[in-house]
This record gives sequence, C-alpha cells and structure tokens, in this order.
Amino acid sequence: MSDPVPLTTGHPGQVASATPPAPGRSRRLSDRGLAVAFISPALLLLLAMSVFPLLWALYLSFTDYSATRGGPAHFVGFGNYTAILTSAQVHQRALTTLIYVVGAVGLQTVLGFAIAYLISRRTHGRGLLTTLFLVPMMLSPVVVGLFWRFMLDAQFGVINSMLGSLGVGQVEWLTRQRTALISLIVVDTWQWTPFIMLIALAGLTAVPRYLYEAASIDRASEWFRFRTITLPLVWPLLLIAVLFRAIEAFRLFDLVYILTSGGPGVSTETLSFHVYKVAFLGFHTGTASAYGILMVLVVIVLTQLYLRYLNKLKED
Amino acid sequence: MQRRGRMPVPSRKVQLATAAMLLVATTVAACGDGQDNGAKASAPKAPATIPELTKDPLTLSFIWFDWPPAHALEAFANAEYKKERPNTTIKVNTVPNANWHDAMFTQFAARKTDFDIAILDSQHIGEAVTNGNILDITDFVKNNIDVKAYNPYLLAAYGQFPQAETGKRDENASLYGLPLLGDTWTMIYRKDLIGDKPPQTWDEMISVAERCQADNPGVSGLAFHQANGSDAAAVTYNTVNGVYGGNLWDSKTRKIEGVLNDAAGQEAMDVLVNKMKPLTAKGSGNWFIDEVNAAVAQGKACIAFNWIAASGGLLDPKQSTLGTTREQILDKPGFATLPSQKTNLVPLGGMGMHVSAYSSKANQAEALNFMKWFERADIQKKWAAAGGVPSRTDALESPEFLNAGPFNQVYTDSVPRMRDMWNVPEYARLVDIENTNVNAALNGAKKPKDALDDIAKEQQGVLDSSSRKGGGGL
Repeated sequence: MSDPVPLTTGHPGQVASATPPAPGRSRRLSDRGLAVAFISPALLLLLAMSVFPLLWALYLSFTDYSATRGGPAHFVGFGNYTAILTSAQVHQRALTTLIYVVGAVGLQTVLGFAIAYLISRRTHGRGLLTTLFLVPMMLSPVVVGLFWRFMLDAQFGVINSMLGSLGVGQVEWLTRQRTALISLIVVDTWQWTPFIMLIALAGLTAVPRYLYEAASIDRASEWFRFRTITLPLVWPLLLIAVLFRAIEAFRLFDLVYILTSGGPGVSTETLSFHVYKVAFLGFHTGTASAYGILMVLVVIVLTQLYLRYLNKLKED
Repeated sequence: MQRRGRMPVPSRKVQLATAAMLLVATTVAACGDGQDNGAKASAPKAPATIPELTKDPLTLSFIWFDWPPAHALEAFANAEYKKERPNTTIKVNTVPNANWHDAMFTQFAARKTDFDIAILDSQHIGEAVTNGNILDITDFVKNNIDVKAYNPYLLAAYGQFPQAETGKRDENASLYGLPLLGDTWTMIYRKDLIGDKPPQTWDEMISVAERCQADNPGVSGLAFHQANGSDAAAVTYNTVNGVYGGNLWDSKTRKIEGVLNDAAGQEAMDVLVNKMKPLTAKGSGNWFIDEVNAAVAQGKACIAFNWIAASGGLLDPKQSTLGTTREQILDKPGFATLPSQKTNLVPLGGMGMHVSAYSSKANQAEALNFMKWFERADIQKKWAAAGGVPSRTDALESPEFLNAGPFNQVYTDSVPRMRDMWNVPEYARLVDIENTNVNAALNGAKKPKDALDDIAKEQQGVLDSSSRKGGGGL
C-alpha cells in the first residue's frame, strides 16, 4: 500500500493533513458493503418469514404431508391441485366467496364514494366527520364480529328489538341461509366503507378547482359536472381502493369465524374458512398448502388483469 | 484502476448465488429438527413407576377450554396438591371451546407443548395416540391405579385406544389417559310449569314441551345445542339417534353409510328437525352451552338439555332471574336423567388427563404423580365437593358428591347408560361433517333426509380415504 497522498488546501504552498474517516466507519467497508450490512437483517427476516414459508408451502402442496402425523411427505404430483379444482365443496365455497366479495365491495364502493362526495362539499366540520367515519376501520375485526353478534342475536339483539318497536317480527340474522350471508356483507360494509371513503375523499380533494369554475361559467349542471369532471378524475383512485378491498374480502376469515362459524351448515363458509378447516381439523397440510397456493394464484392473476385495465384507463 | 476503500461490486450471478445460499441456509435451519418425525408412529411409554420428583419450583401446566370446571380445577389443585408438593404450582391454560382442538394439536404438530397435561375430549385420543403425542400409561396404571374402583367403561372412555365397545372395557387394550371430569347431559325441566315429575319417554317429553309452550307465551318448549361449532349439533343428533335405537357406525367393519342413515337414524333426524326444532326459540340455531344456560336462567325454556358440568351457574342468583337465592331458584328447575324411548342411552361427556410426550422428564414425572394423587379415593371426594364430577364409583356414590349439586345424582344414575362417539384419528373431520349437516337441517338449509345421507356419505368417504392420492381433507 502506498503512503497517503498529501492534499492541498485552498492556500497554495500549504500542505494539509489527510481528512480522517468518519468516526466508527471501517476503512474497509464500502458504501455498497454498508448498504448490504444494513439490508441483510431485513432480507434474512423476509427470507425466513415470507419466502421460505411460501416455497415450503409450494413443496408441501405436491405431497400428502400432515403436520400432526409427521413422517415423510409422499409426492402426489398434482393430486392435491386436481382434487381441489374438481371438488364440489370447493366450488360451493368459491361461489359463496364470490357473492360475498361482489356484494360487500360493491356496497362499500357506492356508500364510501357517496359519503366522501357529501363530505367533500362541506366546508365546516369536514375533519371531524372524516375522523368519526374512520372509527369502525380502526377496530379489530374480532371485536367488530363479537359486538355485531350480540346486536344481531334473534332473541336478545338490539337490531331485532328496534325492528320490534317498528312492528317488524323477529329476523334470524345469523341462522338462516340468506340472512346470514347478508349479515356478513352488512358488517363488513360497516367496518370497511370508511376505507373507500378515505381514498375517494383524497381523489375528490385533488380535483382542480378551475375545472369546476370553467364548468360553472359554461352553466354546466351539477350532474354534468359530476359525470364529466368528478367521476373520471376520481375513478382510477377509486378502482385502486376497490382492488385493495376485493383482495381483503377474498381472504375473509375472522368475521365468518366469529359471526356464523360458516353456518347455517356451510352456507357462509368462504374459501379461507374452508382452508382453515382442511389445515387444522384433519391437519391435511399438503392439501391445505395447495389450496392456499391456488388462492394466491387467483389473486395474482385477477390483480394483473385489473392493473392492465387500470393502465389502459390511464393511457386513454 | 481500483478505487481504494471500496470493494468490487459483485456480479449479478454472485448476488443470485448469495441469495440462493441464504435461502438454502434458511430452509435447512427451519427443517433441522423435522427429520425424525417419521420415527414416531405411536405413543411413547411412560415409566411404570413414578421417577424421582424434583425439589425445585415447578409449574405443572394443563390445557383445557374456558369453562367453570377449568377454573375450579386450578383452584382445587393449587389448594390441595400444594399440601403434598409445595414446590409445585398448577396452571390451567384455557382457550375458547371452538379453539380447543386446534390449540392442542397445533402444539403437538410443532412437537413442543407449553402444557404438560392435555385435557383431551375422549374422542381426541385416537388422533393423539396415532401421532405419538401422548404417553402410553398402561404400565403406570397397572402399578399405581386401583382400576377396580371405576366403572370399566369410564376408565375405557377416557383412556383406552382402540375404542371400547359401549359399556365395556378391553382389559388387554392400552391406556393413554385417566378420568379428570365425568359428564353427561341432564334434562332441566321447569317444575313450576310442567309439574314435579319429569317426562319418562322422549315422545312424552316432546308433548309436554309442546303443551308448556302453548300455555306459557314467551317461553319456548325446548332448548338444546344446535350450533355448528365444536361438537354441539352433532352431540344433539347422536343423543336422539341413540334414544331411537340408531347407531353411529359399525366399528368392526368401519361402515357408516347404511348404518347411520338406516330407518332408526332417519326417524331420529325426523324427530329432531320436525318435532323438537319447532319447539325452540327463534334464532336458536346457533345455541351452545352458554345460550342454553342463559335461556334456562332467564326462564325462557320449559325443558332444556345441557352438560352437567356446565350447569352450576344456573343456581347462581347473579345469573338467574328465577330467584334471588339458590333455594328460591331450586323451586323452579328440576334436573333429571334423559328420557328413554327405544333405548335409554345418554351421551358420554367429560374428559381425561393425558401426559404430553413433549414435556420435560421432570414435568412428566410430576404429571404422573399428580394423576396418581388425583385418582385417590379421598381426593376424588374432595374434587366432588369442590364442584368437579369424579369417576371413581365410591366418589360418585359419596354424600360429598351427591350433596354438592342437584344434578349430581343424575350423573351417578346415567353412568351405566353412556355411549360415546368414535375416537378414531379422523374424529375432528367426522364431527365437523356431522355438525355442519345437522346444523343445516336444523336451520332449514337442508332437508333432514338429505342431511343425514350426506353425513353418512361424507363420513364414509373420510374413513375410506386412506388410499386416496392427494386431496385428503376435502
């Protein structure tokens, strides 16, 4: 190694000593090395907690492994996948999940956007209203499920009590096939409409004022302004909110577990709830892994199609 | 020229190789202790005699679901067992009933448990034994427990695998547990509404409930378990099935289809859905233990069925509207054994104590010592006085037990009439199939006959699925 080259100062003829390295910094550690050192813990954590379980689940999905039985995992090829895709039970849960996702997300979008639109038109108390509307979203789904279970109880629930005072008879909210799924949709809507509202509100406040001013100079009607200015500008943001909510709703487990346990019978069992049963009632880990992988694939494929549509929308 | 103080930038190939190595290392680390899983195909044996016990402070942990007997056990064991083993603290960990099986078996799956004694439902034994999760205590029982002190079926139901025939015990079969809490259903009837004499037959019970409901607006004729969680609706159907002469399966040939849904089974389902269900409260299709107790305590049911071990709260004036004192309350509900019809079978409830195979040696030794202590005649009577339901015959017939609760005589009288479900390794799936289908029939989501045929077909599919390649569990 050669000696350090003397550095010159601003004053010609004067030789300055070399600037010492920053304290605590190793001379041998480059910027890149430092970056790797900082990223490594997070990277290792990600590999251990996310990537490895995913790859392990992928491996198990081709076997008949059971977590409780132990023993070697026997390779069954695509047996688990074929069984899942051809199972009438899975088809039934897929239909229930689809109805739930379309119903809940559709309702939340309409209500969320409507509330956001109304709030955006207010000048006073907008912050307070927004905060109040956000409260349900901040609660744990288990807490939400439990108090709605009490409220919807056919005998002692406050909902039936209120309906009774209006002269409406007792409704079996959680124990009849049709009302149980509707109840799930209503509870989910109560909790997650604020999410759509929040994103829609962000979109609405970002619409440039001058567009509305120009429209009013042209004497455009309220409906015309909404249809040609508000909706087209907020739509892409709203669609992203819908995407997030649809993915969440597709994975619904907690509300079903607390409110209906999938009943009556299996009429409110969603795909996630069914995976839970396959995984933990009989401990069919291989089948449950394949089921989970298929659900991830469905979400990825649908999300890709959706994002392509969004990009096309942006280009147009 | 290479810049000083800076390492060369690794190529993309090197980066990929590093990432791959990290992944392999993570995989190897994560799978490190999973290689010997296959070696354990059956339960390891407990020592025939209790090993030397530690003098160091030790916590003996149980796992159970959250209900009054769990809290009673912790209080009782800490008060009494500590007198003999002052260094030992008893901790009863509780989980919600619906998570009970998962909480135990996910820990068994991890081959590491935070409990030393699992309180298993009698039907869980097969799954735990087959997977090697609990100790085989056959030799320990021979050396330390007076087996003649028990009704043989109780000893078999809470510990034997393969399962005992109803009412009998196979002396040569292995034992994996000892009774902790006996239980069965009691019929709770309103003496002030239907009279002091309880109905003697199932048909009579239905007609009395019908009359009572008609005479008392706002009070439903019947209240029983209908929920699709745990084993709620399944036990209800099994009870009616037994009373009407049906069978759950033929254990020798492992046949369910054609046995469960034979004429007796169909009649039982018809009685349950078309005669009993219309006498229940609207919206009671998801009721289990707590909801049935609430209906009785609030005076909303003429006749109810519930587990004896969960009935203590009915006499608590703080929870009841039937009276302001225990004596006042006792004027109204009466407790009786279940009515008979074609047979006099009643459901076997309760649970046994089972030593975790993954507990430390010191804790396993303490667990065995606790079990030996718990099954002593004097301790069983004290357990009875503390609110528990013992299993030794002398304790069941003792005044300590019979005077401890108005329903305890019901248990003693019911012991010779008990029938359990299957305790095969596939139990969790079998009971889920039955639960969901009976619940569907009770709530109008399926026709009773279709529900019963579906149960038989799907359960048979589970028993026959061992040779299936892929898709197990669907």
